[in-house]
Amino acid sequence: MNKKKNIADQINPEIRDALLEMGADGIYRCYQCGKCAGTCPWFPVGTYDFPIFRLPLEAALGMIASSEDKDELAAEIDKIYRCVGCEACVDQCPHGINIPSIFRAGRRLLVDFGSYPEILKSTVRKIHDVGNPVGEPREKRSDWARDLNVPVFEPGMEFLYFSCCISSYDPRVKSVARAVAGILQKAGISFGILQSEESCCGEAIRRIGSETVYEEVAKANTSAFERNSVAKVLVNSPHCYTSFKNDYPELGVKFDVLHISEHLSDLIESGAIKPDKEFAKKVVYHDPCALGRQNDIYEAPRNVLRSIPGLELLEVENFNHGLSVCCGAGSGGLWMEWDKDERIAGVRVTQLIDTGADVIAVACPYCLQMLEETAKSMGHDIPVMDIAEILAESCL
Amino acid sequence: MAEILALVEHRQGSLRDVTFELMSCGRKLAENLDTRLTAVLLGHNTGEFADDLKTQAHRILVLDDERFKDFNSESYQQALSQVIKSENPVITLIGHTAFGMSLCPALGAQLDIPSSTDCLDIEMNDGGLKVIRQMYEGKLDARVRFRESPSYLVTIRTGCFPAEDGNLQAEIVSSDLKAAEPQHLKFIEYLEAAVGDVDITKADVVVGVGRGIKEKENMAMVEEFAGMIGGVVACTRPIVDAEWLPKDRQVGSSGKTVKPKLYIALGISGAFQHTAGMKGSDTIIAVNKDPDAPIFGEADYGIVDDLFKVLPALRDKITELKQ
Amino acid sequence: MNIVVCIKRVPQTADAQVRVDSSGKDIEKERLTFDLNESDAYALEQAVLFKEQSGGTITAVSVGHPDTEDTLRMVLAKGADTAIRIKAEDFDELDGYKTAQILKTVIEKAEFDMIFTGCMATDDGYYQVGVNLAQLLGIPHATLVSSIEIGDGAARIKRELEGGLLEHDEISLPALFSVQTGINVPRYASLIAIRKAAKKEIAAVGQDDIDKDALVLNTQIEELFVPPVTKRAEIFSGTPEEVSGKLADMLNEKGLI
Ligand SMILES: Cc1cc2nc3c(=O)[nH]c(=O)nc-3n(C[C@H](O)[C@H](O)[C@H](O)COP(=O)(O)OP(=O)(O)OC[C@H]3O[C@@H](n4cnc5c(N)ncnc54)[C@H](O)[C@@H]3O)c2cc1C
Ligand code: SF4
Ligand code: SF4
Repeated sequence: MNKKKNIADQINPEIRDALLEMGADGIYRCYQCGKCAGTCPWFPVGTYDFPIFRLPLEAALGMIASSEDKDELAAEIDKIYRCVGCEACVDQCPHGINIPSIFRAGRRLLVDFGSYPEILKSTVRKIHDVGNPVGEPREKRSDWARDLNVPVFEPGMEFLYFSCCISSYDPRVKSVARAVAGILQKAGISFGILQSEESCCGEAIRRIGSETVYEEVAKANTSAFERNSVAKVLVNSPHCYTSFKNDYPELGVKFDVLHISEHLSDLIESGAIKPDKEFAKKVVYHDPCALGRQNDIYEAPRNVLRSIPGLELLEVENFNHGLSVCCGAGSGGLWMEWDKDERIAGVRVTQLIDTGADVIAVACPYCLQMLEETAKSMGHDIPVMDIAEILAESCL
Repeated sequence: MAEILALVEHRQGSLRDVTFELMSCGRKLAENLDTRLTAVLLGHNTGEFADDLKTQAHRILVLDDERFKDFNSESYQQALSQVIKSENPVITLIGHTAFGMSLCPALGAQLDIPSSTDCLDIEMNDGGLKVIRQMYEGKLDARVRFRESPSYLVTIRTGCFPAEDGNLQAEIVSSDLKAAEPQHLKFIEYLEAAVGDVDITKADVVVGVGRGIKEKENMAMVEEFAGMIGGVVACTRPIVDAEWLPKDRQVGSSGKTVKPKLYIALGISGAFQHTAGMKGSDTIIAVNKDPDAPIFGEADYGIVDDLFKVLPALRDKITELKQ
Repeated sequence: MNIVVCIKRVPQTADAQVRVDSSGKDIEKERLTFDLNESDAYALEQAVLFKEQSGGTITAVSVGHPDTEDTLRMVLAKGADTAIRIKAEDFDELDGYKTAQILKTVIEKAEFDMIFTGCMATDDGYYQVGVNLAQLLGIPHATLVSSIEIGDGAARIKRELEGGLLEHDEISLPALFSVQTGINVPRYASLIAIRKAAKKEIAAVGQDDIDKDALVLNTQIEELFVPPVTKRAEIFSGTPEEVSGKLADMLNEKGLI
């Protein structure tokens, strides 16, 4: 049934108001210049039409996810979940409009009514049920550290090391947490972990639109931090970083957050860590959106790589730093499966490989998983490594 | 003690396996309660069925009528309710099948007899009738107590009471109850689901996929793996519901029954409706993230891990071995 | 076509840890997520498809605790016109039959041509409520329905039997259909529908409206327990590479690959 109506009939001020209430700011400032759509990673993917420059107008007219036709509606909701929250568009917009926050406003309304993709529902459900998106029991959260003598955090220790769900549970990505712990131990840093007291930071599900479950886990974390008098948190995931730094303060908690790349860079500079083994490879660094564009940390991870003897650091010219192209894993993208020829990661992997690198370096567990799996599925056998893993090879 | 009744189930001219399972269950109960088991046979020209059941029950009560040839929940209910009223059995056993699911709750409500469906075990003593049933998708069992009543209705899950040779000499009794013309429900025909080009029942190696595969895209990886080990891909019902594979690839009670040399279950929880169709396989391997998944109770070998990690690794190992 | 849809809010247990609580008769619910029962989503969609085809109204009814209102609102957003919550908290312990008796008292007052239910609830797995209800209302029913075509005063249905066989029947209306998953593709709710649903009244019916003493409870849970282990797979442990190695060797030894 195709009930195409004219536009006037579809305008719905009530939806506009609801979107505004949910945080869709700035929609009236948009003049549809299209700069956002030009920088959105879906543009180079090329097989999926994603005209986000129309989104602010559609929001202002209340014309989002509102088709009465079942199939059209399904396509509209799929569209709302295409945004991976990389914020490339935010940087470009001459009027400072935040497109992903408009998408998020729509998602919040949909999530409240369970009207969003099943695969994301199950991710939200797992975070609610067991505090991580993998669906593994809480008691296993510190299994990665079992044989490493990593102490439980106690008041008085300098850092809480918060190891991100992916690097705590994923059999491959665990080695990032293990590398971080090894390096910190070698440098004699005072740190501990909170084991099963930790929950997912909630960054991804907040962007998926589940404000309720986000608040649940955020409160569980902040009260665990308070209970244990945590003052400084060290993270290896830029998603934990941005969540703790930019979202958690809304809950009225005070603690400092440091991304591991910043701390490692400092430790190398002070001489506490001496990378001495050669890592004679050409390494291209991929700027994770949540670390670079969203938090301006560009140099620290590069400093870490530059300090390693034999390592030749390559750049994706024109598409690095603030212009880095997302891996596609943010805002729920890690769990979505789009058709093979409709994948953002495919674009990025090609760019990275075209630099002639032997190794792709990242500083984010999401990027690690996404780029590694995509490279494999495209038939490339280039290793993808976290900067901590590379550093560990050189200094441990 | 009043008798036990057990309903004979047949379809398209053959007795169904569940019938013999019910008789096993009924004989056990009859023995414990020191009473007799009567098989209730509704059908048409049922001589052969009665012969086949001769050793299975103390008595076979036959209601022969053209209208009982094929199952019709309305006419079956009408006749069975009369049988129950006149026989006053302590327990009436019905298979937990597509027929039983329609019949038992309707009879219970009509006759005001307490009923329970999908029971794995049944026990009757001074404390009254108790049954074991599964809840929460097979993760827990419940012991359920019935309210006191002179008569009970129970449907029994298939596969819980193995069919056995009986040693009884049934007395065959024809009932003069006649079928009423059904007013509301007319049986038209049986339809076979369309058959595709792959026959999963004939393969030596079957790779079964369940909802753990997450997305349609990932099916390619499984197809590739199955091809590599000379197997075919089958699945659970949710995969058919999502239209990622055709209906003729569904394994289970409402799908096909397979008995390959090797069955590999990937991301399958192990609901009994699924295992009913594959537990006869020679060797069963299960890969599931959840250590408590019921599938590990059916499998010979298990891997508790993410199938997306295991499958590529397994593919590599097998490639290695083959070289 | 006026249609009644019976729905249930259930814990999502397929890949959750399910634990027995201290009473020994129920599960620990705090850490579980609740949502519309799987086959009920298909029952609702079937009703909405018929409404789109031939008009009429859809009434959703659920026996449930107060949070069931969230689920009923979802159902309103996906196409139901009115929703009634029957207050489970007023009726002590429930089983399939008692639930059906309660539903009957409410539904018999409504005008309907069809009733849809899911074929079973994933929490208690009774497969009872729909058929009990049809019997109590004195209307015909069909279970495990995997296709329905509505004709004049009657419907042609296909029921799913064992072994991949379908049973083709004709059934007179009004009737109750307990539908199997996969009969259709459940839809999303649009934002407009969500906004409308958020504002709708959900009627509540309780012990003041239903004679509690007339209700019969047939069965009671005496004990919940983890199923006894009859057979247990030999579990390979280690990294994916290690377990794959062990498995591949075993398969090789047995000549299975
Ligand atoms: C009358 C009736 C008849 C039915 N007939 C059949 C039938 O014939 N055949 C049939 O199959 N079903 C049938 N069903 C459905 C059955 O009850 C179950 O719902 C179904 O079998 C469950 O399928 P599943 O195991 O794929 O999904 P789920 O039960 O959802 O299980 C998915 C499993 O995957 C695991 N998992 C998730 N992610 C991963 C991962 N990354 N790696 C490893 N494991 C993972 C989870 O731990 C979980 O155990 C029938 C139901 C009814 C009511
Ligand atoms: S860049 Fe900004 S102003 Fe231009 S179309 Fe996009 S949102 Fe509108
Ligand atoms: S945040 Fe990234 S993915 Fe989302 S619209 Fe902006 S550029 Fe596109």
